[in-house]
Amino acid sequence: MQQGKTRVLSLLAVLTIAASATACGTATTTPNASGGASAAPDQTYPRAETLYTTGKQWGAPSTWNPLDPNAAMGVVGLQYETLFLYDPLKDVYTPWLAASGTWDTAKTTYTIKTRDGVKWSDTQAFTADDVAFTINLASIKAVGSNLLSYVDSATASDASTVVVKFKANPAYQEWQQWLYNSPILPKHIWSSKADENILKDTNANGVGTGPYMYKTASADRMVWVRNDAWWGAATNPVKPKYIVDIVNGANSVALGQLLAGNIDLSNNYFPGISQIVNGGYGITTYFKSAPYMLAGNTAVLVPNLTKPALKDAAFRKALATAINPDDIVTKDYGDIVQKADPSGLLPIFDKYIDKTQNAPLNYSFDTAKAKQMLAAAGYKAGSDGMVTNLDGSPLKLTLEVPDGWSDWMAAENMIAASAQAAGINVVATHPDFNTVVADRNRPDDATAPKFDLIINNDVQVGNTPWTWYDYVFRQPLPSGAGENRNYEGYKNDTAWGLVQQLDKTPVEDLTTMKSLCSQLQKIQLTDLPVIPLWYNGVWSQVSNSVWTNFPSDTGNQVMPATWNGYWQMGAINMLTQLQAVPPAK
Amino acid sequence: MSSVIASEPKAEQAPQSPGAAAAVPTPKPRGEFLYFALRSRKFLIASTILLILVGIAVLGPIIDSTNPNAQDGLMNQGPSLKAGYWMGSTSFGEDVFSQFANGLRATFFVGLLGGGLAALVGMAIGFTAGYRGGWIDEILNMVTNVFLVIPTLALLIVIASYLQRSWPEARGILFEAIFVGLTSWPWAARAIRAQTFTLRSRDFIDLAKLSGRRGWKIILQEIAPNMSSYLFMTFILLFGGAILIAASLDFIGLGPTNGMSLGLMMYNSLNYGAALFLGLWWWFIPPGIGIMATVGALYVMNVGLDEIFNPKLREI
Amino acid sequence: MRRYFGRKLLTYTLTLFIAATIDWLIPRFMPGDPVYGLMSRMGNNSSPEAAKALSDYYYNLFGLNQPIWQQYLNFWGGLLHGDLGRSVFEHGQPVTDAIMAAVPYTLALLIPAILLSWWAGNSFGALAARRKWLDNTMLPVGYILTATPYMWLGIVLAFVFGFTLKMFPFANSYGLNLEPSFTWLFFTDLVAHWMLPFLSLFLVMFGGWAIGMRNMIIYELDADYSRYLEALGAPQRLVRKYAFRNAMLPQITGLALQLGVIVAGSLVTEIVFSYQGVGLLLFNAIKSEDYFLLQGIFLFVIVGVLAANFLVDIAYVIVDPRTRVGMRGGTA
Repeated sequence: MQQGKTRVLSLLAVLTIAASATACGTATTTPNASGGASAAPDQTYPRAETLYTTGKQWGAPSTWNPLDPNAAMGVVGLQYETLFLYDPLKDVYTPWLAASGTWDTAKTTYTIKTRDGVKWSDTQAFTADDVAFTINLASIKAVGSNLLSYVDSATASDASTVVVKFKANPAYQEWQQWLYNSPILPKHIWSSKADENILKDTNANGVGTGPYMYKTASADRMVWVRNDAWWGAATNPVKPKYIVDIVNGANSVALGQLLAGNIDLSNNYFPGISQIVNGGYGITTYFKSAPYMLAGNTAVLVPNLTKPALKDAAFRKALATAINPDDIVTKDYGDIVQKADPSGLLPIFDKYIDKTQNAPLNYSFDTAKAKQMLAAAGYKAGSDGMVTNLDGSPLKLTLEVPDGWSDWMAAENMIAASAQAAGINVVATHPDFNTVVADRNRPDDATAPKFDLIINNDVQVGNTPWTWYDYVFRQPLPSGAGENRNYEGYKNDTAWGLVQQLDKTPVEDLTTMKSLCSQLQKIQLTDLPVIPLWYNGVWSQVSNSVWTNFPSDTGNQVMPATWNGYWQMGAINMLTQLQAVPPAK
Repeated sequence: MSSVIASEPKAEQAPQSPGAAAAVPTPKPRGEFLYFALRSRKFLIASTILLILVGIAVLGPIIDSTNPNAQDGLMNQGPSLKAGYWMGSTSFGEDVFSQFANGLRATFFVGLLGGGLAALVGMAIGFTAGYRGGWIDEILNMVTNVFLVIPTLALLIVIASYLQRSWPEARGILFEAIFVGLTSWPWAARAIRAQTFTLRSRDFIDLAKLSGRRGWKIILQEIAPNMSSYLFMTFILLFGGAILIAASLDFIGLGPTNGMSLGLMMYNSLNYGAALFLGLWWWFIPPGIGIMATVGALYVMNVGLDEIFNPKLREI
Repeated sequence: MRRYFGRKLLTYTLTLFIAATIDWLIPRFMPGDPVYGLMSRMGNNSSPEAAKALSDYYYNLFGLNQPIWQQYLNFWGGLLHGDLGRSVFEHGQPVTDAIMAAVPYTLALLIPAILLSWWAGNSFGALAARRKWLDNTMLPVGYILTATPYMWLGIVLAFVFGFTLKMFPFANSYGLNLEPSFTWLFFTDLVAHWMLPFLSLFLVMFGGWAIGMRNMIIYELDADYSRYLEALGAPQRLVRKYAFRNAMLPQITGLALQLGVIVAGSLVTEIVFSYQGVGLLLFNAIKSEDYFLLQGIFLFVIVGVLAANFLVDIAYVIVDPRTRVGMRGGTA
């Protein structure tokens, strides 16, 4: 009897999840909007036609609003498209939803010709109106765009032409960034949503122009289905019919799934991946050997310039000389990252680095020299061998990185140890993430932030070195919840003037850009407001068991990442280049 | 609930049969204890296992003084007789034996301190509630219930973040042990309260009351000695439970960020090395076995002790 | 009877009130500011002016721009309507929705695991108590199982039966290639994914119950009433029947006390298998410091454990007639 009861109960329980899972599914799944796809509802995705990815999503996909920076994997890139693509590896802009974009001779009016034959997934035609509408959305504060601070007006002069008029001295670099970063929205759907609540719309199963359409989503996955009516389908089709992106769970699960061939592309950080790549598991990365990964951003040591000692450039130089980034690269990362150039610019910006000028200004690891520099600057060692402040008071610098960021935690320990070896008392700590942010950000009343030293990597790979210099030199000093630049609080009007000038230099004017960058490098290397340490990678490991021809330095050189912003930096081409592995007989 | 993971010691294993006063044994002279102890197979086996584990925990780090977190050896080495690789190495080149021995140390430390603290709190609350009864009992019962259900895990995060400023060790083993101790006592308090309740109405307590002794003296001098064996067994269960809770905390990344423990070893082997999937079983299996052996031996010892203290059980 | 339940209800309500208040306080005491954390995690790189507008939007969304007492009142107001607030990290998604999507999976794991292990453990323990050879083999196995950390066993099972033998899937709650539907295919797939997490919970709990029952029965068989019955010449079966009945009582109490722990055990198990229940939600909430989601999950667990305890209390009254008498006296 009892036995019977428990059996019934457990069966009931399984039925309950079956029922509710189905209910969830039906709630979020809606039939394909366009008639192009097969009429029968697909419930299973054949393995050979499905690309499984993971690494972007840190929580359940919960918004598909392309204006929300937190939108689910692929919303911008797979579903909504941008006017241009930008490939940072080749430094090339490719017209995408635009057929072309041209400046007038005065460079104050930009004319966009839209691509012919592009249709929204609800079969409405994509027109210049949509582009003008999207630009004008920037007037809504919640959209979080400063586009209209340099754009005067955007109007559709005919169905395929948008005329964008600029205010005096257009921010060419930012505009160029906007062109490849911002998704174009359908006016016929969004015009009714265009108010300050625009972000509240989660926009599940929205209408885009891209090669994929929303299929379904649940707490642990996001599923896209190919849009066969996509404008590029005839000439350059994307290969996977389905893309299933899996929400990040425990690292072991992701690696287990990758090794078992259940995941094709993982953009997770796996410590020790170099051993796996060399271990005969069939897992590959962008490069076959060190550094294995492309560089994605620069990890920098940020000092708080309001603190004693740290406000002294001579002290910062000694600190930079005391740190050994090679150690971090080899021991902490197992050579999957590279040491950063002292300028902080990513390898893709190599052409902007003024090597001859910088050579004498650069610094490199040398404990003995660091000690000499400290002594020369007047910092004397106390009884414990650690230098004191100039006024003789004890000097202790706390270095903070977020708890659980294992690679950074190992790195900060190495930094602290090497700084101490040179006599600088750096103590490594790892509070939780929100505490680090609270310590790091300048309070809204613009008083000094609390931290001594932090590690930060907010600047991602992109089209212009301006982003990096804006990050280092931004003025007036930003503060509050949205602070994302100039954490160190460096004030240099000359430098800030140069940064603004750089922003206002047309992207084609390489000579001026180089010259401005060179001047900025001189200031940066002389004053050392931040200390670049290493380049974090575009973590990417692929399994090759179902799909091959993934990006690599010997094959297709495109960005191999599903992260936000990477699709429009060329990663979308990865999907057209993939090849299905013929099933084993 | 103690939302902290893993088993709180199995309450039902505590030798409590409600309403039956027989569960509270009378104290035995020491000689007799030893006599029966040496004849209890369970007790002997469990103590042998525990002794071996304690031996590894105490002597291990002395024999192999490698820093368990030093990433300077060969990577991914299987167990061998080579010095420094008795139990192999991790994918960072850390010495697994050194990690295991140091981890075992931490595990015993957390168990002893956490279990001991929990036993103290449980006794204080259980005795008071059981002996006083009435409103005090009601209030203490409520406190116990709140502790049974509140999210201790979230508390841990809050407290740790607060303490971190003034006390960088806030995420160390010591803190973990204290925290586990202060949150895992509720079931023990309940059990002790129930036992005290049955003793309260006994004649010898009434006698003591008549003699005008104060309440806490009666508890310490009459009630506690009368259930000393029960208390000891409760401590053993709390000991084992504290180890499991700490291991789970480590496993979800809320463990100590400095130092080494078996739970941390498990966490690292999976999260950083995906050890099992890469065939590095020697990194992942030992910490589990270590915890299993320690806690299992403690539980078996508990039953063995039960049989020693409780003559009726011996006959079976 | 009414008085007994009246008093119980009062205690439970008070406990809930206190626990919920503590639960509400926790995120407010967390260092840092959730909106700061959110903006930073999003990798927001908009210009400072634009970022300001965005952060204002979030303060407003989470109701963090209201005075603290108002936030507390809102909390209770929302709670009474089943609204647990909004997740910080998941785009202000209602916490209730996130939890409700996860609950069926956790329950489907927990209910069968608890009931089956309780039933199997008790029967097995009772059996062991009367067969010497069974006792000798079961006892060590039981102790090993109950001393095993849930997550460790889960990973070993995942590795052996999932990764190596490929008998069961070892991650996610249904196939990555499926969409929920009322089909046989989906149902079997669901069960296959449920198998390993269920097993790891079941095995650990089974060990605990079996040993508990075995020990209790041995106690009961030695109790005076058993001896008395035996002396009277009652059949062995009858004595055992009574012993079993009496031994059930502490096992029921044990179940109530263990509920919190069992829930916690299911949380780590879900993490190990990426099983999309409440545990995994909690894990993600911890990782992203999503305090409101965290608060909601904990509140949910608090209510769940309290409710289950209440049920056990009722079950106890039904099973044990003595409680019914004692209720009026107000003793134990």
